[in-house]
Amino acid sequence: MGRARRPVQIIILTLIVILGGYAIGTAVFGGEKGRPQAGDNPPAFNLRGLDGQVHNLEKYQGKALVINFWATWCTYCVSEMPALQTQWEKWQDKDVVILGINTGEDDLTVTNFVKQTGVDFPILFDKNKEIVAKYGVVPMPTTFFVNKRGKITSIHQGELDLKTLNQQIDSLVNSR
Amino acid sequence: MITNTKCECGHQNPVGTVLCEACGKPQHEEPGGNSSELLEMRYDGVARRSQRANPNFIDKIWNFFSSVKVAVYLISITLVGAMLGTVFTQETMFINIDPSVYYKQKYGTIGEIYYLLGLSDTYNSWWFILLLVMIGASLVICSLDRVLPLYRALSKQKIRKHMQFLTRQRVVYQGPISGHGEEWVQQAIAPLKKKGYRVHTDGAALLAEKQRFSRWGPYVIHIGLIVFLLAVLFRGLPGLHMDEHYWFTEGEITPIPDTNYYLKNEKFTVEYYTEDEMSEEFRQRGKAVPKLFETKAVLYKCVDNCNNPLEEPELVEVDRHNIRVNDPLNYKGFQAYQFDFEETAEIRSVSPTLVDQETGEHYGKFTLRMNDPETEYDVGPYHLKLKDKYLDFDLDENKKPITKSGEPNAPAFLFTITGPGLPEDGGQFIYFPYLEQQKFFGQDKLNEALGGVNNKLRFDLLAMEDVDFIRSKSYLNIRIDRAMPFVWTGLGIVMLGLIMGFYWQHRRIWLRVDGDVLTLGGHTTKNWFGMRREVSSFLKSMGIEVDEKSLDNGGNRS
Amino acid sequence: MNLLDISKQAFVIAFLLYCVAFCFYVVTITGKKWKNHEPQQHERKWGRVSFVTSTLGLITHLVYVITRWAWSGHIPVSNMYEFMSFLSLMIMLAFTILYLIYRKALLGLFATPLAIIIMAYAAVFPSDVQPLIPSLNSIWLYIHVTLAAAGDAFFAVSFAAGLMYLLRTVDFKGTDKSARRQKRWLEITFYSIIIVVGFIVSVFAFRASGYEAVFTPKAAPNETAKVSSAREVYNLPPIVAPHNSQLESADSFLGFSKPLFEVPGWFKGVNAGRKSNTIVWALITGTILYGLLRLILRKPLSEALSPALKGIDADDLDEISYRAIAIGFPVFTLGALVFAMIWAQQAWGRFWGWDPKEVWALITWLFYSVYLHLRLSRGFHGRKASWLAVLGFLVVMFTLVGVNLIIAGLHSYAGTD
Repeated sequence: MGRARRPVQIIILTLIVILGGYAIGTAVFGGEKGRPQAGDNPPAFNLRGLDGQVHNLEKYQGKALVINFWATWCTYCVSEMPALQTQWEKWQDKDVVILGINTGEDDLTVTNFVKQTGVDFPILFDKNKEIVAKYGVVPMPTTFFVNKRGKITSIHQGELDLKTLNQQIDSLVNSR
Repeated sequence: MITNTKCECGHQNPVGTVLCEACGKPQHEEPGGNSSELLEMRYDGVARRSQRANPNFIDKIWNFFSSVKVAVYLISITLVGAMLGTVFTQETMFINIDPSVYYKQKYGTIGEIYYLLGLSDTYNSWWFILLLVMIGASLVICSLDRVLPLYRALSKQKIRKHMQFLTRQRVVYQGPISGHGEEWVQQAIAPLKKKGYRVHTDGAALLAEKQRFSRWGPYVIHIGLIVFLLAVLFRGLPGLHMDEHYWFTEGEITPIPDTNYYLKNEKFTVEYYTEDEMSEEFRQRGKAVPKLFETKAVLYKCVDNCNNPLEEPELVEVDRHNIRVNDPLNYKGFQAYQFDFEETAEIRSVSPTLVDQETGEHYGKFTLRMNDPETEYDVGPYHLKLKDKYLDFDLDENKKPITKSGEPNAPAFLFTITGPGLPEDGGQFIYFPYLEQQKFFGQDKLNEALGGVNNKLRFDLLAMEDVDFIRSKSYLNIRIDRAMPFVWTGLGIVMLGLIMGFYWQHRRIWLRVDGDVLTLGGHTTKNWFGMRREVSSFLKSMGIEVDEKSLDNGGNRS
Repeated sequence: MNLLDISKQAFVIAFLLYCVAFCFYVVTITGKKWKNHEPQQHERKWGRVSFVTSTLGLITHLVYVITRWAWSGHIPVSNMYEFMSFLSLMIMLAFTILYLIYRKALLGLFATPLAIIIMAYAAVFPSDVQPLIPSLNSIWLYIHVTLAAAGDAFFAVSFAAGLMYLLRTVDFKGTDKSARRQKRWLEITFYSIIIVVGFIVSVFAFRASGYEAVFTPKAAPNETAKVSSAREVYNLPPIVAPHNSQLESADSFLGFSKPLFEVPGWFKGVNAGRKSNTIVWALITGTILYGLLRLILRKPLSEALSPALKGIDADDLDEISYRAIAIGFPVFTLGALVFAMIWAQQAWGRFWGWDPKEVWALITWLFYSVYLHLRLSRGFHGRKASWLAVLGFLVVMFTLVGVNLIIAGLHSYAGTD
């Protein structure tokens, strides 16, 4: 039995190191799934749009995304809408998509609002507020900038003005 | 360096052997020394598996974890660490705090130090997990190093032992016997067997042994603990574990994110103890004590259109359970626990009757849902078109209606009504389902201002049944834990080992007759009191009267 | 007379029987030295009398549990009063089991007072039957609590045996460093026990006189109305007042009607003022009691007690102490950890949540596993092992009482003082 001893020792010690490393790793780095941060992949979604189509991340693969969470009752959301619309008009040919995810409101309310403001970038319904929760959005509006490789580059909380928005999208498009 | 590890009986022992594997003679004593100390009997004096003459690096690590002393230190440090973690409430106990501020604010400087030392999340800290991992390593290596040699030693025991081996046991008897040695030994078999011993003889020597399995108890415990620790470790793997809390509105089917399940809260009940159920003294305290929280739940599984937001999902009922505290719903590893509840008086829908203000005529009823209402209604001769909806109605500075928040605090509905007696393009009518809000916001005044309907029509709620309230919401903890069977298995093994090891003892009696002198040595893993009693009763049956206490060899204990 | 009244009577009778049994055990042990006496015969006779008495007490105690159970419909372990009296029942049960194995009357001399003190401590808490809240309404309440208490009871007996071992073996005449240190710690152990007695005595004395003092928090102008607790009612005369409070009313005691100190602001928690006041009272009463005993005995308590143990085999005590732990450990593991986990899984959906009570149960378990591992090694018998058994019981009591009083968490019972 003496000969098998050394390999057994090495196997067991290696296993302990791997499992131990995994345990410590998950305890220190994992655990808190929390909200997505810059550098993460944006959480997946599969939502109905105002246009009656299904929208998801796969659909926009290879494009830079500006994901904006909004609601009609949120004044700052409402006031940044024109800026978003302007940028949408400016960038939509350059592989940039702006997605407005409405949080939990009725079709009627959203339709009325869109009619009033005249925005025409894709508006998505998050009826059960599931995606808002997944994105960990607390204050409204919150906007996620996702580059063409599908990574979140930055997260902006609060109202965006035209200039910042332009800068952000510009850096999105130009980042490789 | 080569040490001579050969015993005088001719047996070659491994390095580190305390008692010769064959005859039991103590190995590491100066020759000619006349020690009468008790023998070190743990692991039967065999060498630990890993002990070597020239340890290298791996051996050293191995030996570190193989030591019981190290294990004791590890357990003690873990113990102290766990204690520190209970000094202040751990941050994981709170749902929404910023630990960097909270501890300083609540406990002052001590709290701040506590936080900075990382003790506010002791049980998830790297050092605490490291300690647990090291204990795990120690469990594996300690057991492996000892159980195999011990197994070997116990499975091939020599019956005739060295004289010193017998006289230096803790239970010893030495005395004269009459008659022939071998015959005496043969006679001794029956009374020992009666006591449950398995008896082996070798001429004038005898070995009686019972309950050897209890020797494996500690190792079984260790195996159980390893299974338990591994199960806990793998519990966290993605897909094996889910732990979320969701609100379930009474009467609604709610989808559960990241699963294929939908759960309907059919009815939530909270019951309190009545006065009759309380003792006299307790009644005087005037405290209400809840007796029951129960959610009548129906679990549905989505079978079609599950991930298609354009279509209604097709649901099939799979389980039905009254979820109570201590009695969760459990469907194939999907679990729902009663966690909290909220009583509300929120309107789900109203069914107002359209009434003619002038004639009092009732044109009919229609149902208006607060959430996702239909946009067109036909009531009697009238056509109602929902133009806008305000979930939390208010007027902005320009007296324009707005929704103030995402909460349904003050729902208001703006209709365009067409029909007899109204203008061609219809009249506007705003409606507040909550009666008190009709007054508060001045529904009539607003309608006058809107014009068109000209006080011709009104919406009346005629009966209690016309209002559908959401009475309560139940907060359920949704869990999926696929590793639990392994956790329970581990604990089961631990218990088995504990019972094996603590409620039975491995007892052995060696005896040899040299001429007309009987020498008896006895060993047990625990309960020497019982052992002495057994030996004395055995000797008595052989015609030798001995006081129990006098069998005790005294000296230091092992 | 309903079942609840019978139950209350049984509680008192059991308590008195334990006290009588304790006196008999004292006679059994000390009477051996009386003149005109055959010591062994005396011990056999009185040992039997004492054991019968304590067993009668145990039976009456069981009557208390059963009648209360029958009246309330749930096992009486759902609050501090019920749990503590159940624990003392379990201690007596563990003692009875070990007595039947080893037949040492002496064990009764130490186990009965322990049960008596814990039973008296139970009576400090409100004794009314409380309705069972939904989270406790489970079959696991019965299994988890009873087994955990049983395990703890064996640890308690181990403590008693360990303490006796120390009294038997410590060299009271010795002057070297180790002997002095051991004498000192033994005395501290007894002093701590007397403090607990002092606490019970002071609570009952002032409860009998119906004392009450009420404090209200001082209105802080710059703070909003979210002051933690509105009023604090003291049932002991206030020596220590709650932080930032004013006296609303207080009965006079020895001419004092005002507190002497105020709790420092950093000592926070629910009822911090009342708790620290109680501790101060326990210390004062305990110290006075201890002082009186010292005056009467004219030597340290431990030294005064030690002659009772003359002639007892120390190894037997060591073995009883070890055996009690060996019997209790699996019971404790099953009751306080395994079944606790099963229940926690069923009630809260997680089998382990690092709740303070859970952690302390784990600490107790780790402590005794250290004991069991150390016991394997040479030289860890007798003295060191006995000290560990004594210390272990401190851990047990902290888990049972201290956690609820100081840390609380999910296991907080109603009505903890």
